[in-house]
Amino acid sequence: MNSQIANLEYEGLEELLGQKARELVLAIDQGQLHTAIDLINQLQQARHQVFYNEVGHLTRGLHEAIKSFSSDIGEKIGSRDVVSSGMPTMSDASDRLAYVIELTDKNSHETMDRVDKSLTLVDRLDHQSERFRDLLLLVGQLEGDFKALDGVYDRTCMVKNESEKTVAELKSVLTEILVSQSVQDITGQLIRRVITLMTQVETQLVKLMEMASKVERLSGMDVSKKVARESKVAEDQIKAQGPQLKNKEANAVSNQDDVDDLLSSLGF
Amino acid sequence: MKKDIKILVVDDFSTMRRIIKNLLRDLGFTNVDEADDGRTALPILKQGRIEFLITDWNMPGMTGIDLLKEVRSDPELAHIPVLMVTAEAKREQIIAAAQAGVNGYVIKPFTAVVLKEKIEKIFERIS
Repeated sequence: MNSQIANLEYEGLEELLGQKARELVLAIDQGQLHTAIDLINQLQQARHQVFYNEVGHLTRGLHEAIKSFSSDIGEKIGSRDVVSSGMPTMSDASDRLAYVIELTDKNSHETMDRVDKSLTLVDRLDHQSERFRDLLLLVGQLEGDFKALDGVYDRTCMVKNESEKTVAELKSVLTEILVSQSVQDITGQLIRRVITLMTQVETQLVKLMEMASKVERLSGMDVSKKVARESKVAEDQIKAQGPQLKNKEANAVSNQDDVDDLLSSLGF
Repeated sequence: MKKDIKILVVDDFSTMRRIIKNLLRDLGFTNVDEADDGRTALPILKQGRIEFLITDWNMPGMTGIDLLKEVRSDPELAHIPVLMVTAEAKREQIIAAAQAGVNGYVIKPFTAVVLKEKIEKIFERIS
């Protein structure tokens, strides 16, 4: 009788209830009060057992889903050259996200290396422009002596000014490229937030699985199915709050002007 | 404005430290130290010689707002102007920073013009 209840599933509950109810009515009709009470206890036990078994199923299902998600993602990411060369054994999603931060960081620095190099070249152009000015002065002096050079000085000056303007523009664009690398910081902070969230979910999941295995032991479920306990717990507790998603945060300012307004209202 | 003053840039992202350093260099400030959070910044500050502090808010270890409070509560450091450069954009946070004694507040992502303007403004007020 007890083993019938111990392995009871939700699907079998109704049938069991019907059967026990009929037995209960029969027992009462026959005046067997002791058997009737026993049947009521069994009914109660059946209800609890179904609940416990369902929790067990749910937990195992969750565990399996996360395991298959993990290996699925692992296969997909692992097949890409950029990752397979550097990270052959990425074991969980947090590691992968941390790796995204690492990659974008590396990429940003490489971009900035190139910007720095370009700025050096711009400096060289500036320097060449100075030498050009010296040569131009010479042309200016010669202009008086050679009629054929008439107007050459002015025209060359114009070209030189245009060129200096272009160089200045180039320099400002390069600075913009440099500053735009700050997106790595913003995305990195957001990813860290997700990592923190995932770590919390993982910790809660481990607790849930521990709870489920207790339920299974208490209810005498098949031990061979017991959920493998995960011991990996929050190793990287980042307390960071991260950037606000401005359109979602009701009380966040949306740009530097708002910050300036707020500060000036505070007497800044 | 003295260009040889020593500046400390505190941010946990090396990308951001580098950007700020480069913009400072554009402004003529080349004497720049770096730290990756408040905890590593404090010993550098306590060695003295830092005359301007630029810090992020959100960092592991010690946050920028805690660093700001430490700086303001230390008589040796209290005079140092502090510019906060951060993605934290809640009104309460900006007000909290102002109350803690910040000298300027720039939200990320920023433009070169904005950052330079805020830095220059702080130096104008000091001198």
